[in-house]
Amino acid sequence: MEKSKRLYVFIGILVLIGIVFICRLFYLQIIDTSNYYKAQAYGSNEITIYPARGTIVDRNGKLMVYNDAVYDLMVIPQKAKDFDKVALCKELMLDTIEFNKRLKKATKYNPREASVIYKNLPFHLYTRLQEIIYQFPAFYIETKIDRRYNINGAAHLLGYMGEVTEKQLALDKYYKPGDIKGITGLEKSYEIYLRGKKGKKVVLVDKFSKQQGSFAGGKFDSLPSAGQNVISAIDLDLQVFGEQLLANKIGSIVAIEPSTGEVLSIVNSPNYDPNLLVGQRRNKNFASLLLDPSKPLFNRALKAPYPPGSTFKTVQALIGMQEGVLTPDTKYPCHGGYHMGSITVGCHAHGSPLDLKSSIAKSCNAYYCYVYRSILDNPRYNSVQDAYVKWTQYLNSFGIGINTGIDLPEESRGIVKKPSWFEHEFGKNWRSSNVVSMSIGQGQIGLTPLQMANIAAIIANRGYYYTPHVVRSIGDQRFVPPSFKQRHYTMVNAMYFDTVIAGMANVCSPGGTASRTGIPGITICAKTGTAQNPHGKDHSIFIAFAPRDNPKIAICVIVENGGYGADYAAPIANLMIERYLSKDRSLPSQKPDMLDRMLKANLTGKSTTVKDSIMIVKPK
Amino acid sequence: MEEKLHIDWLSVILYILIVIFGAINIYSANSGVEEVLKLDFTKEYGKQVLFIGVSAIIVFLILLTDYKFFNFSAYGIYIVVIGLLLVLLATGSFNKGAQAWFKIGSFKLQPSEFAKYATALALAKYLGTFDVKFEGKRNILISFGIILFPMLLTLLQNDTGSALVFGCFVLVLFREGLSGWWLILGVYLLAIFVTTILLPSIQIIIALLIICGLFTYFNRVRKQLVFLAVTVFLASSFYVLSLDFVFAKILKPHQQQRILVTLNQDVDEYYAKKSQGFSIFKFEKSKEKEKSESKRDYSYNVRQSKISIGAGRWVGNGFNNGTQTKAKLVPEQHTDFIFCTVGEEYGFLGSTLFIAIYLLLIGRIYYLAERQKNVFSRVFGYSTASILFFHFFVNIGMALGILPVIGIPLPFMSYGGSSLISFSMLLFTFLKLDANRINEISRLN
Repeated sequence: MEKSKRLYVFIGILVLIGIVFICRLFYLQIIDTSNYYKAQAYGSNEITIYPARGTIVDRNGKLMVYNDAVYDLMVIPQKAKDFDKVALCKELMLDTIEFNKRLKKATKYNPREASVIYKNLPFHLYTRLQEIIYQFPAFYIETKIDRRYNINGAAHLLGYMGEVTEKQLALDKYYKPGDIKGITGLEKSYEIYLRGKKGKKVVLVDKFSKQQGSFAGGKFDSLPSAGQNVISAIDLDLQVFGEQLLANKIGSIVAIEPSTGEVLSIVNSPNYDPNLLVGQRRNKNFASLLLDPSKPLFNRALKAPYPPGSTFKTVQALIGMQEGVLTPDTKYPCHGGYHMGSITVGCHAHGSPLDLKSSIAKSCNAYYCYVYRSILDNPRYNSVQDAYVKWTQYLNSFGIGINTGIDLPEESRGIVKKPSWFEHEFGKNWRSSNVVSMSIGQGQIGLTPLQMANIAAIIANRGYYYTPHVVRSIGDQRFVPPSFKQRHYTMVNAMYFDTVIAGMANVCSPGGTASRTGIPGITICAKTGTAQNPHGKDHSIFIAFAPRDNPKIAICVIVENGGYGADYAAPIANLMIERYLSKDRSLPSQKPDMLDRMLKANLTGKSTTVKDSIMIVKPK
Repeated sequence: MEEKLHIDWLSVILYILIVIFGAINIYSANSGVEEVLKLDFTKEYGKQVLFIGVSAIIVFLILLTDYKFFNFSAYGIYIVVIGLLLVLLATGSFNKGAQAWFKIGSFKLQPSEFAKYATALALAKYLGTFDVKFEGKRNILISFGIILFPMLLTLLQNDTGSALVFGCFVLVLFREGLSGWWLILGVYLLAIFVTTILLPSIQIIIALLIICGLFTYFNRVRKQLVFLAVTVFLASSFYVLSLDFVFAKILKPHQQQRILVTLNQDVDEYYAKKSQGFSIFKFEKSKEKEKSESKRDYSYNVRQSKISIGAGRWVGNGFNNGTQTKAKLVPEQHTDFIFCTVGEEYGFLGSTLFIAIYLLLIGRIYYLAERQKNVFSRVFGYSTASILFFHFFVNIGMALGILPVIGIPLPFMSYGGSSLISFSMLLFTFLKLDANRINEISRLN
């Protein structure tokens, strides 16, 4: 080859290398996308911007739950050199030993990353620090959002927040470890509306995870959108009043607006302040609440099945009439109770015989033993068992023995036994006499206060109910879940309700079981209950709705170990109804004596205290 | 009458484009994310602008110099640079550890960068001497001597990368008459080298035996070819075994790992295989222990470099928007890994255009070199083009992860005063010589 022609070899090599490089570039940049994604992962760090959680207001627009800013003093330990430590400690009212300890801990965690050095700055400290913080470049104040409750009760209703569990993390991709979500109450059941949409900011980080600025000019950033506000059906004033009335008693109040199914208040006693389970103190306070022997965390209104006692007679009467074994004119005798062979169901002294209306007003036990036995021994059914099954179906249509479907988590179905349970107990051919105690709401039957209030609402509506719901509407669009508007009819015809209502209207008048109760100008339709129980004195129970026509409120009050229904439950219900129906809430009660007596009553007796083991720290 | 400057403007324009593009990329790799665009002479990109200014002055001076000066002073420059290298070596031995630069104020002068320039001049001068041709033992030996002497001195400074660059003069010698077989032999040896590292040496020797055996069988009539085949087999087998030995016993662990990383080998896995009789020569235990610490660095560089380039996709993130670049994830990005910035910020299209422009410049220099009328200019031109080509090939091959991590700069692009000035001197000395070629012709007329 002539030497000058060797130029072409050189040019050939250049072209070849060019092609090789371009092919390699094509592979790295176009074909192999893994590098591209690795680049995004390596060089960037996603910072979540948390949205403001939705607030919860009551039916009159009063704020119940809201967010508050809390201020933490942060430090970047690496930069915390050459600053006036004494001056800062003086401002923080910390001694330097404690300050050094915290700084050392932060340094140990990560010298380059910001750590909290003073959590929840009090507001006066926050404002003071704002002025002087520029002197301490390694320190800055971070604003975080925390939940606040405008009410020191209603804790079971509102619920509390807590850190997501690993299980929930796997189920819902929305959450990241360390996120806070609703654990109980409305906070839980309306979590998806309240939580809002997270925003994110993608920042560029170097190999030390140090932020270098916005990633790709903020192309992947998104703004958070705040959670939706929830308008609850709760009447805050009534709720607080109910809690005052139940103070120092164990029990529950549930009030429902019958025409809508909206829950006006759910009172539990004992209760606790929801602000206890917020922020840093949550774990500590939760532990002590859990150990409290009065069980303040227990949601009685939704979870405790009580024997309904005589209030159950209203349901028995309705079923009896629908089944055709009872008419308003049916009369049964009562001579100090119901006697049938070895069975005796006692009754208090009243006239005899009574018709249906009077049996409710006077709450005759014997009457309902006859009614219930006639239901079970109805010749239309092949056996008592079949009749019993039919009876439970009636109960289910009243929301008994099933979940009412309230928009709160952890509801109990109450107790309604299956026929097989009685077979096991009394043998295969058990008879109506075996279960006669259920005729007056004792024995193998249990209803939650919510279910009893719902019965009052059903009777008020003359045969149907809406699923009880604590929330009225959601967000600015006032979204109402369609299930809230759906009527559930009972298996009892509307026409049978009038007699029962007439009987209930007489309960609070002279001759009725709660004759001392009543509001001038308003007819309260009610039924007292006195439930025997293995825990001591009878439970005082009262269900009611008012006014008789176009009812505005249906209520159930249970005071554990309160004695007769008329002793505590009836007055409390009476005061609640009066309060709710009065045009001006600031007006004093027409029954100041009753109010005073209820507020002062203390039925809690002696409760043992358990030492909080977490508190016990050996002094050094 | 004023003489017209017949400089090759195409080369000048390409040079200016690349230098400015280089400064832009250094700015990108060097400045903070939310930094305002301004000239800060305390930062590398600011200093690079200063170096460009210095280069411009030197280029201007070169263009003013009489072309005969370079031929006249070639040996003198060579001797001065060799002297500087020796001084460095001497002070290095005093200071415990080699140093590759002189410190002048805050700037470092790297004589090895200028050694290439001096060697090119000296080689051109020698081969351009009236009665010397690249023929005969003596001439060939002197030619290689001129190249190998500075190469050895650079190697002694532990600057392996710069030392390897001197290998590119083989290309110049090829133009001047070195047989093409030597180049083919070089490629063959490299291929054997790679397979030796990847496969058990016994397998390679058996493969060679089969190939040579078949070759012998089909050419058994021609004794010369049979002899050749046997020689090739024996030499290759010896080469394979000695490579194996050198790799296992002589190379330091970090050198082994550079090679392994380049060949896409998992270093730990490789050592595990080797210790199970993969290699005839056992790896020493102490070396194995040492490796896991240094291993990360080389693979990290290459991995980050590939991720950066890969992040660019078709059109890249745009100037100053490379996320890997801005996050400063690639070590030495403003110097040896400057191509990552191009890859990430200008994408496949930008990088391809850049490679095309760069190769066009190198090709243009080869073309200009070939049209020289005198040997001095031609050899110097081929040297210039070959030095640039070697740097370009190794540097970008390294960034793309197809060549070992050898720390040599990308001419005109990488940050560094010594390299920018020396490459500018190299290019413009040749362009001055090339301009003079036309002057010579015009004078003849």
